[in-house]
Amino acid sequence: MMGTTYISQDTYLHRLDARTKLILMLAVFTLVLVFSHPLYIIALLLLVMIAWGSAKIPFGAIKTILQYFLVLGIIIFVIQVFFYPGTTNLFKISGPVPLLGFDGYITLEGVLFGIAMVLRLVVIMVVAPLLVMTTPLPEMMVAFVKFKIPYRFAFVMTTAMSMLPSIQNRASLIQQAQLCRGVNDFEGGNLLAKLRAMSAMLVPLILGTFRDSQVLDVAMSSRAFGAPAKRTFLLESHFETADYWMLAFAAILMVGGIVLRVMNLGVV
Amino acid sequence: MQESNAPVTPEASKAPARSWSTRGRIMGVPVSMIAIWAALFVAASAIPALPVPGMSGMITVNALLTGISGMILGPAAAIANAAGSIIAMILFPFGFSLGPLGWLTATAGGLVSGLLFTNRWKLAGLVELVVLAAWFANPRSWQPFMWTVPLPYSAITVLVIFIKPLREWARNKILTLDKVWMWVGVFLMVSASHSAEYLTTNSMVNWMFHLSWQYWVPTLPYWIGVDTIIIVLATAVGVGVMTGLRRAHLPQVADSMEK
Repeated sequence: MMGTTYISQDTYLHRLDARTKLILMLAVFTLVLVFSHPLYIIALLLLVMIAWGSAKIPFGAIKTILQYFLVLGIIIFVIQVFFYPGTTNLFKISGPVPLLGFDGYITLEGVLFGIAMVLRLVVIMVVAPLLVMTTPLPEMMVAFVKFKIPYRFAFVMTTAMSMLPSIQNRASLIQQAQLCRGVNDFEGGNLLAKLRAMSAMLVPLILGTFRDSQVLDVAMSSRAFGAPAKRTFLLESHFETADYWMLAFAAILMVGGIVLRVMNLGVV
Repeated sequence: MQESNAPVTPEASKAPARSWSTRGRIMGVPVSMIAIWAALFVAASAIPALPVPGMSGMITVNALLTGISGMILGPAAAIANAAGSIIAMILFPFGFSLGPLGWLTATAGGLVSGLLFTNRWKLAGLVELVVLAAWFANPRSWQPFMWTVPLPYSAITVLVIFIKPLREWARNKILTLDKVWMWVGVFLMVSASHSAEYLTTNSMVNWMFHLSWQYWVPTLPYWIGVDTIIIVLATAVGVGVMTGLRRAHLPQVADSMEK
């Protein structure tokens, strides 16, 4: 199944500290929620697309991501176009339908708000993968720790990531074992049979991995996990000049966005 | 080995000074277990369970794990689910339509059922009420019939949380692995978890995309159907896992609870 992974390149975005990229992502995410006018969200989308292009990430990845949210996008657009309480009538498509709360007119505000909400979804969906595709996961974990996220939580995340391949292997083995026992509805079959097959895979998978957790517990204890010591990291991250420039840019974006919003700009 | 696997009594978990054994734990649960659960959550996020036209491309198996996480890890399920879903939404974003805040939903689900299962019902009730308040704080939630949207599972959850005999009954049936009624107890716990997850998702979608009653109310029966399938399936998996963990003497939060 499709997943986003790090794409190794030597670009400006790749060289930035993971913390800088996280802050930039949060700034874009906040601003896209602050604005509800399509022009402002298009400006944000352009910004993300410029970053995407400069990171030399294939644009085909965006299409793959967005295809999962196509139906949601259509629903959001249709609902806003028909039911957003606008005042500028564009055209009449039917008589009033009081049961649905529809007065028969498509309004300019409804169309603009519908476009804005779909664009909001697009920005939200493409900004996080951009971070992932330009930042190796270990660097991201170091960034979390540098943000003072408790070490034990960061450890949980790194361990989960490192155990993922072995769990996927185990799941595959269990699936094969269940196939040998006649449970053959993992791919095909009706919904009920498929769900039954999923249960036949999940229970042994969970029990098996919990058995592994005991081994992990011993390994952690033997390495004095949690002992009061100053922790060092294999990877060290430092802000460079480029990071400070980008952080300043993020700050300007945020402050500017909030000022615009306070002035009641950027809304339909 | 013995020390780190020893059951943690409520007294030990409340101890002011952190002992050697509590340093390797979060909310009384070994970090190793939490990490393993987070890894399971990530792996499950890559497995599509139901192709669902609507809010996201599909519902993945992680929805089942969220439902049962509270019974296995207690409130620490919130930590495990948060860690798992942060990684999952980075690696497999198709199950998350809420962007960088997508991890909050599974966290809320694990937290409510975990608190409920460990009998911290006041806190569970508080979290559930906060989740409900987040829905009703949105002006759109006061549109016609919008009150029906959080009703189906919240009603069950609120009853389980606040009616002591029902809560105790559900917990006891699970803790004693009752052969006849355990599945009902698991069903109630899974419903509590799914309710919190479902409502958090809906609230966030409502705040982010401003959908009106014309979307929520007509699609409600459809979502009830989808969520019922998830809850029933999670119940089946939950009964199997809880029984298996106990029979194999594998660690779980129930070890540290008074029976």
